[in-house]
Amino acid sequence: MDTAETKVLNVYDKNALAHWQRMSPIAIIYFIANFIKVLLSNIVILLPALYLSYDFIMENLILGLTVIILLISFAVISTFLRFYFFQYRLKNDHIDIRSGVISKTHINLPFTRIQNVKLEQPIYYRWFNYTCLQLDTAGSAKQEAKIVALKADFAEQLKTEILAQHLSKKEPGTCNKPADQPLEPQKSVAEEVLNTRSIPDLIIHGLTNNRIWIFLGGLAPFFDDFSHYILQFFQKTGVDIEHLLTITDKPIWQIILYASTLTFLFLLIISLCSIAASILTFYRYTLSKLEDRYIRRSGLFTKHEVTMRLSRLQLVIRQQDWLDVLLKRINLTFEQINVSVNHNQMNAQNDKIIVPSIKPNECTKLLNDIYPENQMMTISYQAISKQFLLKNWGLILTPLCATLTILFIVGNKPLLLTAVLPLYVFLSALVVMRWYRWGYASDENYTYIRKGFFGVDYYCFPTYKTQQVHYKQSWFLKRHQLCSINFVLAAGTQSIPYINENKGLSLTDDTIFKVESTKKSWM
Amino acid sequence: MASRETADYKNTSQENTPFSNKSLVVEQCPSLQQLNYQGVAPIYLKMTRLFNLFCTAVTLSLLIISQRQPFFPLTSQNFNIISNIILIIGLLGLLNYWYGIVANKKKFFAIREQDITYCSGLIFQKTVTQPISRVQHVELKRGPIERKAGLACLQLFSAGGASHTFEIPGLLLENAESIRQFIVDHKTISSN
Repeated sequence: MDTAETKVLNVYDKNALAHWQRMSPIAIIYFIANFIKVLLSNIVILLPALYLSYDFIMENLILGLTVIILLISFAVISTFLRFYFFQYRLKNDHIDIRSGVISKTHINLPFTRIQNVKLEQPIYYRWFNYTCLQLDTAGSAKQEAKIVALKADFAEQLKTEILAQHLSKKEPGTCNKPADQPLEPQKSVAEEVLNTRSIPDLIIHGLTNNRIWIFLGGLAPFFDDFSHYILQFFQKTGVDIEHLLTITDKPIWQIILYASTLTFLFLLIISLCSIAASILTFYRYTLSKLEDRYIRRSGLFTKHEVTMRLSRLQLVIRQQDWLDVLLKRINLTFEQINVSVNHNQMNAQNDKIIVPSIKPNECTKLLNDIYPENQMMTISYQAISKQFLLKNWGLILTPLCATLTILFIVGNKPLLLTAVLPLYVFLSALVVMRWYRWGYASDENYTYIRKGFFGVDYYCFPTYKTQQVHYKQSWFLKRHQLCSINFVLAAGTQSIPYINENKGLSLTDDTIFKVESTKKSWM
Repeated sequence: MASRETADYKNTSQENTPFSNKSLVVEQCPSLQQLNYQGVAPIYLKMTRLFNLFCTAVTLSLLIISQRQPFFPLTSQNFNIISNIILIIGLLGLLNYWYGIVANKKKFFAIREQDITYCSGLIFQKTVTQPISRVQHVELKRGPIERKAGLACLQLFSAGGASHTFEIPGLLLENAESIRQFIVDHKTISSN
């Protein structure tokens, strides 16, 4: 191990890195892949244009081809230029990145400002042993830097060094090292694997958690075509779907059979896709710990590595959907600063650490490792007021359903009328469960919130990490001496509705007091 | 009055003890209920009233002009539709004018050594407390009307995200500036 480290250091000479340099040409592949991704995600916009110009292109084939070739060469050239103008250097514990062809940007990041180091290895990098390094800073999403092609072992080393900066800054005793020396003593600490997920675990995860949006998001542009092809397919095979779906002339058992078969098929396809998506994201999942850092690695095609320092952790969520409750599995999520609000969901997903479908004992172990004094499962939660039921069930749901019933009776729509009652019962059950689940508690260090419908989610955050407190009262709540409280965290807002005014006030005061009296930084 | 407040903010920021939020005894723990709330500046009330009136007037006159212009004569049906729209906008304008008056009187803020609180809302009353130690940066926002009236809007940004920017509108500029200075000088910020 030691010899390997020194060898790596010899290869990546500090003095050489202090000068501006380009990435390896491998990066061109990344830029091309990115270009294709952007193209595909914009295909919805491009398709009508293509469709409209289709006839024109067919008529003027040469002109059309020239345009297409020009476009492709433009893409290739711009990709190459982007690669050519991307330069970086490492100097005095700063990283500088210059990029941009026409509008130039220059990012300068001191290592100490870097919040978060993410490694991402797309599948085409695997054979060359390269990886992408993404550096996040606190707060602004604009200030993040991404070096898209680095040798994997060098990226690893750089990561260790950047993260060690924090450690040495925090502990004044160890910060007297010359900057050019690697931090040997810290490297000797071995990484401890906290959790791994096997394929059966991931299958369970796929079943219990609908991960289908990962697919749906990518497939959205093709929905229309799909339905079209499916109809055509059925027509070709001699099955007249429209005839089958005309229900008036069929006995009721046949309709039920059709409906259940269709539902079953639909669910089967969805579940299979969801399982595939789960395996895609979480394949070879490991969660490990190195000193105060938690590291998540996973991915079938694109390997992701997210590193989070314990101090960056803002919120722990223990989630169980109703199926999870039955199977006794838990999704544990560690959320950190939510900088990528404006980014797409995929990106936000990669910022937090999810431990998918773990067993209760594993969950307890992880929780106690991360927040040793937490009482998430042992503390007694206080229920929210029954006025919540009165308002949502009594004042909204019941009148709505009553109105619908009257409308359907008057309009003589018996089929819809029969649907109202089950819907009403189901929604009522939802409201009641919502009320039953919603609870809150707080102890010396943490604030806990429990909520959910048929499943149950527990939220736990260190009280001093609160950014802002909202105390809310509408006329309705004021009349019943109730209030709602929102805790704004760096990872999003958590709310407790319909609690007693006095309890709410003391909770607010207590939270503010804990925030202001602590010397600890929230990040 | 404004200058006295300025002096106050400066005083507290200079003699910042390690931690102080007045009383730490449990029975007298600092509570939101005992805050000294201040309303927004009176000129702000006047400005928003005038601005609301102005907006309604402009919309209405534009509609009336487009209805009665001689260049593109409207069909009687469209004419009636626009008349109804004018009526509705007029009523909404009145409602808005009334709401502006009542709601602005419900806007209060209070500053303590460690936090700033702002209440607002007529039907949905909301009290937001922003601990100064969690402030990332401070901005004073001044639109053209606010500049004319010598007003400013104080914005405090925390890590809670852009949608949770703490905002106090209708401050006199000198007050807003001294509050900003107080926050910038606050010990917990420089150490953060």
